[in-house]
Amino acid sequence: MIGLTLRQILAVFRLELGKTFLARRGLWVYLLAFAPLLLYAGRAAYVPAERARLAEMARKRPVSGLTLWTIRPGLSADEVLGRLGEAPMRRAWTRRAEDGRRVEHMVWAYTDGRATYSFRFRDGVLTEVNRHEPDSIWTASLVFATLFQTYFLRLAVFFGCAGIFMNLFRGEMLDKSLHFYLLTPVRRPVLLAGKYLAGLAATTLIFTASTALQFMAMLWPFDGAAVRSFMAGYGWSHLAAYLGVTALACLGYGSVFLAAGLLVRSPIIPAAAVLLWESANLFVPEALKKISLIFYLQSLCPVVARQDSDLPVAIRLLIAAATPATKTAAIAGILGFTAIVLVLAGWRARRLEINYGTD
Amino acid sequence: MSDDRIIFDNVSRFYGEVLGVNRVTLSIPPGITSLVGPNGSGKTTLMNLMAGLIRPTRGRITILGIPPGRPERLFRLLGYSTQFDSFPRGLTGRQFVTTFLSLAGLPRRQCRELADRAIDRVGMTAAADRRVAAYSKGMRQRIKLAQAIAHDPRVLVLDEPLNGLDPLIRAETIALFRQFAAEGRHVIVSSHVLHEVDMISDQVILLSAGYVVGEGQIHDVRSEIEDRPMQVLIRCDRPGALASRAFQEDHVVEAQLLSDGGGVLIKTRDPVRFYRMINRAAIEGAIIETIAPADDDVNSIYGYLIGGEESSR
Repeated sequence: MIGLTLRQILAVFRLELGKTFLARRGLWVYLLAFAPLLLYAGRAAYVPAERARLAEMARKRPVSGLTLWTIRPGLSADEVLGRLGEAPMRRAWTRRAEDGRRVEHMVWAYTDGRATYSFRFRDGVLTEVNRHEPDSIWTASLVFATLFQTYFLRLAVFFGCAGIFMNLFRGEMLDKSLHFYLLTPVRRPVLLAGKYLAGLAATTLIFTASTALQFMAMLWPFDGAAVRSFMAGYGWSHLAAYLGVTALACLGYGSVFLAAGLLVRSPIIPAAAVLLWESANLFVPEALKKISLIFYLQSLCPVVARQDSDLPVAIRLLIAAATPATKTAAIAGILGFTAIVLVLAGWRARRLEINYGTD
Repeated sequence: MSDDRIIFDNVSRFYGEVLGVNRVTLSIPPGITSLVGPNGSGKTTLMNLMAGLIRPTRGRITILGIPPGRPERLFRLLGYSTQFDSFPRGLTGRQFVTTFLSLAGLPRRQCRELADRAIDRVGMTAAADRRVAAYSKGMRQRIKLAQAIAHDPRVLVLDEPLNGLDPLIRAETIALFRQFAAEGRHVIVSSHVLHEVDMISDQVILLSAGYVVGEGQIHDVRSEIEDRPMQVLIRCDRPGALASRAFQEDHVVEAQLLSDGGGVLIKTRDPVRFYRMINRAAIEGAIIETIAPADDDVNSIYGYLIGGEESSR
């Protein structure tokens, strides 16, 4: 019995896998998955140009990196001016505070030829120091983390899974060919398992391939020694973590969209509802953040994405990352959630009817 | 007994507020059974219920003792060629048949052998390696039939299977149905073409607006319609004398001489007394060449039960 079930799952898997990979209507999924490579290509062109610009600035106004490191919040603008001289890049503006008082803001930027140092002043006192190095692997890995957690997980994998998994049943309903499956001696949950595994194999292969290529593209502008050093340090573990998160995202979102394709006639509504919830997750209190796949996926990411310090305090509080789940809890959360959704989908599949509207 | 029958026990199916079929109770024996009725009468609904593609709102169905909700058992003995004229994309005819056989968990070699045999039985061997998308309507019908018979089912359900077939292929297909029926299997066929149903059916199920209005062997159904006089065509040497004699009987309501002068059409309310009268005429010297019921066919019966519109199709 188990042997027969496995053979049937394999037969459904084989049939579906070919259709899923070669479907014309799924070409946009590849575009979505591999679009970030264009950004990394752009970055590979930007980094040398930025290096040249900083070198030119440093040549005109030389400041040593050691001196820049001595600048700490709490210093006055005059003290900073005394140590570093006139800033090559300056910006100043006035903003009214909540008590009605006018507050003077300034940002001064210097460079030692390798990195940009931004000093933010409030009423003449240094409040924040930012160092931005365009060609450091650390900066690149921060860019990667931000892009991965914002665009790749929330949009590319999400919509890619929506496109592929919803099509497994709904697409065949639209093509009026689903009945051929239902007229075979295959239990509906077995059919569902075969289709789900085919969708999972396709999405995992597409999106993990994209993740690996993005990681390589991220490292492309750096010299071999720096890359080897990075990979020997935490590079391989980061790559493995990103690949794992991608696979888990396909596993979780895949189950949601497979069930959605079975449950409702128009899959756009559940897709929009899940997207809304996963996006709103940025703005909900910490307790609610945990009732979403994105929370567990982000908990497994090896680098925390940057948050823009220019955002108002109220929104920064809202988008502050919830205390991440432990790795075990995150993986168990995703697997448990997936199992529950698949059991519900299996129950729905048993009750699935074919009625293309003719009699 | 019910293990060799298709049983509908007080089955109803509604699509929301719309009636599909209502209070259908049937016990279908092996042989060729035709479902007859106009569009919307519930033929496809009945077939989809048998195959479990839809579930009854009320009532119970078993196919040779198996409920349609058990596909893993049902589709080892049932093949269904639906009315839907659509196929999975990109497959050749042979791939189409083989692929869906493989879902049963059969070894590949056996799938190929069964598929080749089924394709050969429907005369599609020459076109089997072309894509289904390039097939004509008749070829698509035949490859669907091949898929339905490939696993050698005991019950064959066929929704409008003769649509789009040319006369030669149609005759071959009907012969195939007869062969299946002769082997003691069920062949359930739906059709609009009443004279075809007449030719091939062992029994009929007449449907109108979701209700079964008649079922059984065609002759039995006809004999149950008592309010319509039976029409009998008699070819004989002296049709005038026979017509005159018939008029003297009170059960005869009409006697009409045929335009070729070789016979008479008699309408009677009492077939038993009518045949006695014919016997007496023969004993008294009339030469009776043939006696044939003139309205003992699906076309006439359907017209009597449901109205004139469909009987003319």
